[in-house]
Amino acid sequence: MIRRIFFSLLVISILLFPGCLASNQSLEVEDNESTIELVVWHSFAAESKEQATFESKIDQFMASNPSVEVKISAIPYTEADNQFMVAAQGGEAPDVVRLSNDQLGKIGHVRVGGQPLLEDLRAHLTPIERSKFDPRALNAMRYEGDLLGIPASQDCLSLLFNPVLFDAAGVDYPDENWTLDDMLLAASTLTSGDVSGLALPVKDPYWWFGFQAGFGGSLFDQNGTPSLNSNGSSDSMDWILDLELEHEIVQTGTNKESMKNQFLSSKVAMIIDGPWNWATYEAGRIPLKQSVLPIVTDSGERISPLVTFKGWSVSKQSLNKEWSTKLALYLSSSDVQKEFAIETYTMPTTIDLYDNPDISENIVLSGFLEQLMEGTPAPTTRGMSLVYAPMGTAFENVYTGALNSSEALLLANESLQSELEGN
Amino acid sequence: MNRVFLIAIFSFLLLLPISHASEVTSLESDGDVGYRQVGLMWSTDIPSEEGTIFEVWISNETIIEISNATKHSLVRVGNVSNLLQPGIGEWYDDCQYSIGDENWNPVYRELDGTAVIPPGAIGVNCTLSGISSGLEIHIAVLSINPSGGSILSSSISSSSTSSDEEIIVIETSPYIFAIGSIALSIFILLFVLRWMDYREGRTTSRFAHLYIAPAILALSVLTFYPVLYGIWLSFTNADQSHLGDQSIIGFDNFITVISTSGFLRVTGFTLVWSVVNVVAHIGFGLLLAIALNSNDLRGRSAYRTALLLPWAIPSYISVLVWRGLYEPTGALNDFLGTDLNLLADPNGAKIVVILVNIWLGIPFMMMSISGALQALPKDMYEAAEVDGISNFSRFRYLTLPNLKSALVPLSLLGFIWTFNMFNVIYLMTDGGPNLDFDGPGSTDILITYVYDVAFRDGAYGVAAAWSVVIFLMLVVFSWTYMKKTNATEAVT
Repeated sequence: MIRRIFFSLLVISILLFPGCLASNQSLEVEDNESTIELVVWHSFAAESKEQATFESKIDQFMASNPSVEVKISAIPYTEADNQFMVAAQGGEAPDVVRLSNDQLGKIGHVRVGGQPLLEDLRAHLTPIERSKFDPRALNAMRYEGDLLGIPASQDCLSLLFNPVLFDAAGVDYPDENWTLDDMLLAASTLTSGDVSGLALPVKDPYWWFGFQAGFGGSLFDQNGTPSLNSNGSSDSMDWILDLELEHEIVQTGTNKESMKNQFLSSKVAMIIDGPWNWATYEAGRIPLKQSVLPIVTDSGERISPLVTFKGWSVSKQSLNKEWSTKLALYLSSSDVQKEFAIETYTMPTTIDLYDNPDISENIVLSGFLEQLMEGTPAPTTRGMSLVYAPMGTAFENVYTGALNSSEALLLANESLQSELEGN
Repeated sequence: MNRVFLIAIFSFLLLLPISHASEVTSLESDGDVGYRQVGLMWSTDIPSEEGTIFEVWISNETIIEISNATKHSLVRVGNVSNLLQPGIGEWYDDCQYSIGDENWNPVYRELDGTAVIPPGAIGVNCTLSGISSGLEIHIAVLSINPSGGSILSSSISSSSTSSDEEIIVIETSPYIFAIGSIALSIFILLFVLRWMDYREGRTTSRFAHLYIAPAILALSVLTFYPVLYGIWLSFTNADQSHLGDQSIIGFDNFITVISTSGFLRVTGFTLVWSVVNVVAHIGFGLLLAIALNSNDLRGRSAYRTALLLPWAIPSYISVLVWRGLYEPTGALNDFLGTDLNLLADPNGAKIVVILVNIWLGIPFMMMSISGALQALPKDMYEAAEVDGISNFSRFRYLTLPNLKSALVPLSLLGFIWTFNMFNVIYLMTDGGPNLDFDGPGSTDILITYVYDVAFRDGAYGVAAAWSVVIFLMLVVFSWTYMKKTNATEAVT
């Protein structure tokens, strides 16, 4: 009898057990259903301070929004646009992605099934939310009227120098009154032995854009038509290439990496670089200071580096656009930008931070902000995203002596125009 | 006295509107103006005075005072000269004003985006953005007059009823094409095999095809489908802006390929690159294999290990190391005491990439030939030695003919691999230096240029046409090579 009861209970237990499991499972399903999952692609360097700061901010966002789970993936910055386009065309786009404004210019015209790849955020932001951002930065996130991202940072090139090498050579530090002639003279004086006076990748169009503007040239005219082949453009191209080819104050073949390495090993007195490498130089215990780029002697204009903006964009394919926008707004908020600025020397885009004492009293941040105000915002157009290839070819031609700068720029202009016209 | 009193009263009444703040008397909303948007129209009791500010406040509950609400936007009444007046749809959000004549004009904008309307405006019609979709909200307008006094309007409720656009539906034709081409491949293969069996009188093993079905399926999925899809893509206008809704455009992509500036140049360099590399791989590989096969050589294992190192190290690492060596600040210039920038010179870069690929390819050929050498009968060489045949004649008349069965397929494989070798050029020079504005770089070979066309230009159809051209070139070469060398006969 006892055995029968025992077996009966056992059978009942076995029968009920899956039911209990099922009940738990259904609870889990409900839990899962109430959790919103967002996928974010960032392009911060692996194991960098930027990545660490970003991850801590994502953790904070999830802590204050328990119903949201954010999954993050790192993608290379230079490939971010291509990878996003490929993913979006396969229906696998992340909800939120970090893109620069020139990348927006490339993605903006792409359509899949007749629809754009990025959400127009104009309908998602209130005017008060928008008013917190520098209008220049916000405008840079617009492509043909659509607001394709929320600006979270901006950057441009500036003049960095090693004061110890200046002191050793008895040369005065650069200041805001410096002209290109002053820079050239100082660089020549500082070039001695295995130390170069100046380092910059002379063939890289990004470095040239600022000089082009200073010499009176422009990439595009008022209508957005390419205008690469002006006198100012060719003069500036000759001037920058001569730093290596004629004056020999820039080491042969200097590229971005070798410039950084030369500076880190105190083999160069001045470099033209952005705030993104400042932390690396500091970590390398390099004595360094910053100054605004000099004035072009002939034109009286200051070298005006290209200012690019990076921000957070929401995919058109996102199933949670409201939450994606909330996350993008959070990642671009003043608090997050301030932490990024202080931790990683990332230049902010919210107006209140320009006057914030933690920023304005920081000599590095205020110096780069001053340089940013002298810069030229990169237009968010398809033309801007396409300008690098023909300009790179133009530089190669002039560098190797195959063409002179006027001929090369004329061909570059024609090539860009043809590309824009779809030929 | 009465007259004075009347004048005073009249003057007071005339002046009253000036000192009185414009009060919002009518508030209407429209929830169907767009996703996350609500239309809001208000009018004031009197024409707006310069310096007045209208603030729009929103809340989840009825707004009695602004402490429980969030400021959404503001409209300022002021001088509009020299201000922007973006048209409808040009600004981040749309806002219009009326001065009572039933015409609605876009508001003016300050540099920071604040909406500005001219004094005298009596009505404002704005699209409020950033409203949560489907949730009821309450809206009120606070009028702040120039002297600082403020009046809060009554609160109205509204909700954004428009839903989000439908999510992009990815075109399914590629998937249908995939399934179709895989099924077709299986069907054709099975048909061919069945026909061959029938022709050769094999009718007993009916389950044979079932046994090889998994292999056929794998081949169809991994080989035939990508090839067929690539061929199909080459006849379409698929690019970054057409993927998913591409259409067939005939041979246009092939015409683009042939008319590309530098087509002959890049094809020529690809041939030079392939031939020089394969000849060097086979030549040095054979030389080293013979040397390592010599009985007189001491420390053979050590040499073999050392010579295998380039093959053992991941190629991208060794290629990047080579690039570092050839850079102006690299070890080569340090060693020679020169200032060469070989990678920036079109001819120098070509020589460098070929040298690096030769270095990378020798170990494989050396090992393959070494294996073939060890399989040659030793008594043949002993007989030659007894007959007093010289070392060179032994190599010329015994080794080389006997190695043909290994060398022919090795050279064919080597040619195909080198023809499609991507990473050396991509990592060393990225195809550069690029002196051609609309064509391939100086060190581009066909396969690296296809990558640029596909993933930098986003011209998928044209890139597929290039791939088909490469495929045809290799098919023609392989077929001719096998015919000329009797490769298959040599193997069997």
